[in-house]
Amino acid sequence: MLKTGGHIDYSTPVISVRGVSKSFGDLHVLRGVDMDLFKGENLVVLGRSGTGKSVLIKLISGLLEPDIGSIEVLGEQVDELDDKALRQLRLKIGFSFQNSALYDSMTVRENLEFPLVRNKRNLSRAAINREVEDVLDAVGLLHTINQMPSELSGGQRKRIGIARTLILRPEIMLYDEPTAGLDPITCIEINGLINEVQEKYKTSSIIITHDLACAKSVGDRIVMLLEGRFEREGSFDEIFDTDDGRVKPFYDYNFIK
Amino acid sequence: MSATENKRSVIVGLFVLVGIIILVAGILVLGGQQNRFSKTVTVTTVFPDVSGLKAGNNVWFSGVKIGTIKDIRFRSLKEIEIAMVIEESSRQYIRKDAVAKIGSESFIGNKLIVIEGGSGDVPPVEDGDVLRAATGGGLDAMMATLQTNNENLVEVTKNFGELSARLVRGEGTVGALLSDSTLALHMKQLVSNLNRTTANTAKAAEALTQLTAKLNQEGTLINDLLTDTITYAHLQSAVAQLQGVTQTASALMTNLNETAGKLDEKDNAVGVLLNDPAAADDIRQTLENLKESTKKLDENMEALQHNFLFRGFFRKRDREAAKAAAEQ
Amino acid sequence: MPLLAQLPMMKKIQRTLIELANIHRFVMRFFREVFMPPYEIKEIIRQCYVVGWKSLPLISLTGFITGVVFTNQSRPSLAEFGATSWLPALISIAIIRALAPLVTALIASGKVGSQIGAELGSMKVTEQIDAMEVSGTNPFKFLVVSRVLATTISIPILSFYTAAVGLFGAFLSVNQHEDTSFRVYFDQVFEAVTYLDVFSLVLKAVVFGFTIGIVGCYQGYHSSKGTEGVGRAANWAVVMSMFLVFIEEILIVQIIQAMRA
Repeated sequence: MLKTGGHIDYSTPVISVRGVSKSFGDLHVLRGVDMDLFKGENLVVLGRSGTGKSVLIKLISGLLEPDIGSIEVLGEQVDELDDKALRQLRLKIGFSFQNSALYDSMTVRENLEFPLVRNKRNLSRAAINREVEDVLDAVGLLHTINQMPSELSGGQRKRIGIARTLILRPEIMLYDEPTAGLDPITCIEINGLINEVQEKYKTSSIIITHDLACAKSVGDRIVMLLEGRFEREGSFDEIFDTDDGRVKPFYDYNFIK
Repeated sequence: MSATENKRSVIVGLFVLVGIIILVAGILVLGGQQNRFSKTVTVTTVFPDVSGLKAGNNVWFSGVKIGTIKDIRFRSLKEIEIAMVIEESSRQYIRKDAVAKIGSESFIGNKLIVIEGGSGDVPPVEDGDVLRAATGGGLDAMMATLQTNNENLVEVTKNFGELSARLVRGEGTVGALLSDSTLALHMKQLVSNLNRTTANTAKAAEALTQLTAKLNQEGTLINDLLTDTITYAHLQSAVAQLQGVTQTASALMTNLNETAGKLDEKDNAVGVLLNDPAAADDIRQTLENLKESTKKLDENMEALQHNFLFRGFFRKRDREAAKAAAEQ
Repeated sequence: MPLLAQLPMMKKIQRTLIELANIHRFVMRFFREVFMPPYEIKEIIRQCYVVGWKSLPLISLTGFITGVVFTNQSRPSLAEFGATSWLPALISIAIIRALAPLVTALIASGKVGSQIGAELGSMKVTEQIDAMEVSGTNPFKFLVVSRVLATTISIPILSFYTAAVGLFGAFLSVNQHEDTSFRVYFDQVFEAVTYLDVFSLVLKAVVFGFTIGIVGCYQGYHSSKGTEGVGRAANWAVVMSMFLVFIEEILIVQIIQAMRA
């Protein structure tokens, strides 16, 4: 399944990362990263585990602060915003966590309501219910509405997690390892969902993964993070048209060559 | 807001409400106990020594709690001013000439102020009045009892002295009687009891003196008692002895008085012996007869021993006696 | 050489100091955020339900047992002095001044402290706290402030219950052995305590409640990655809060003693 990538506006970057470095103690995770995400685009960030892929999207969402460099999201400098402005900006960014991060103590309905109730306080009960059922239907899990997260499968949790971010109608989606720990069939479903979201909700997305099947099916453009820097950039085929010993094993393993 | 949330809010509200009711009820009851919320008047009194009385201790009138001590402070050397808060409702019964004393709730209880006396024709106390202070309290009262006891003992001894003098004057007859009759035994017991009683009284008095010294020294009574078990043991035995002494002494008194009284009357054996020689002769005769009877009984027994029917029994008894003697 | 031997030691000291700084920052952040709107009233009520109401049966039972056992254990000592009539006064002072807040706090640090530590720890580990943050909710306010407030409110109220139930348990014992009527018992209980005793009960319970909440939240909020981190957070929440409760007990008793004089 290959992407068409119809509505991408390459003249309008929604996220611009410039010269960002981040280290934890002696561990230099990012060493001067430059990156743009354009409107309507699905950008895949490939890399080995522990190379700081997740750190990048945490920097973008303001969960972490860069040591040096600047991050501009929707025209605003993330590290210069005060708490209130940052909160406003975050409402436009959907974050799908690796482990779904559903609130264990709440039902599916309460999980979905949570961002809505707390950020749009003037919504009526009926409007909230309508919104919840709407996004739940979009991920195909309306029947789980009264279940607890612990009763769901990994794939279902992932979808609910995505639904929870969609409920605020974000302009940007950040997916952290969306297919990690899922069976191949579920992976295909999730990939399909990512593409559906892109089309239906007109989002620009960054997808962090080391799953090439996922990268291939959702990515309009792919960047490869190697040793803290973006080394390669382009379409799926462009990326792997190389003999680089750091890149080839990815391809070989995923497509069993 | 969902139904479960509503229910939870109600439960939490109930939980908090009942908790606060417990606290408020506690505070109100405490307030009632300490008269914080009822109308009161404040009167003072001055003592040279408050023997460990503390602010918060009770004030009693005729054994009824009518208030608490608000403040204790030095006014000058040997003058300690005590401010008491007294319930307005009890005020009318406390007259201006009433006397304040330091007492204690029980032998080892808290100290308190006891208000006593007061005459009907004197007006009730008013706010700011100073009550007259009287020294003496529970322990002093006890020492006074001991004193009375001693006086009683002196009286008993005096009576006994008179009695013995009369016995001496009664000469041979009574002398003989004393040597082998129950009355003599009784008399002997009386004397030894009297000795013991006197000794006990002395011991009790000593223990009490020690205790009072200790009590006067420092701190509150209960504090000392909880930390000093020796004092407590003394105290306990002192109380027991004192009680014993009082009882024995009063029993002795009665006995001696009765005996002394009866000695003067004719309708009892000793009185008869003392006062009527003829009757004495009769009694002597009776005793003689009794002796005779005993002798006769002995002879009968001897005769029995030789009867063939009883021979086996007596022999057996003799053998056993012999065996017992041999073992020894 | 001796310098090298001290190196691990130095690292340990450094770690402890950093930990202290973090705790300080955490507590300061609590006081900053507790007064700033929005107020998470609904969540505070929910936490009061969890902390207070859900702990009530356990804490009542413990309080009752404490009252009965303490009375039965004190009886022989007082009987030696023939002063069993002082039992109610002794019990009421012991329960109101010391046992009620202490027993409540210890049970609560076991039950509530570990619960908060484990709950926040697992939320941290599974990125639920991050998820909350990126969805526009201040997780510190929603999770930490509400829980600390809930324990600070609930523990004092629980300790009132403990005191009441404990005194009732003691009454049953005294009533059975000494034939003391409720009226007499009640009078003696309240005769023995003062406002300062009640104040010390409230003060201790508030401080203990705050401690249990803040320690549980701190341990959970700063728990390390992995399931092991969750376990450690729960464990440390209990150990540290119990330890601190005793330290605070000593200090508050000193302060109250000074006020009594």
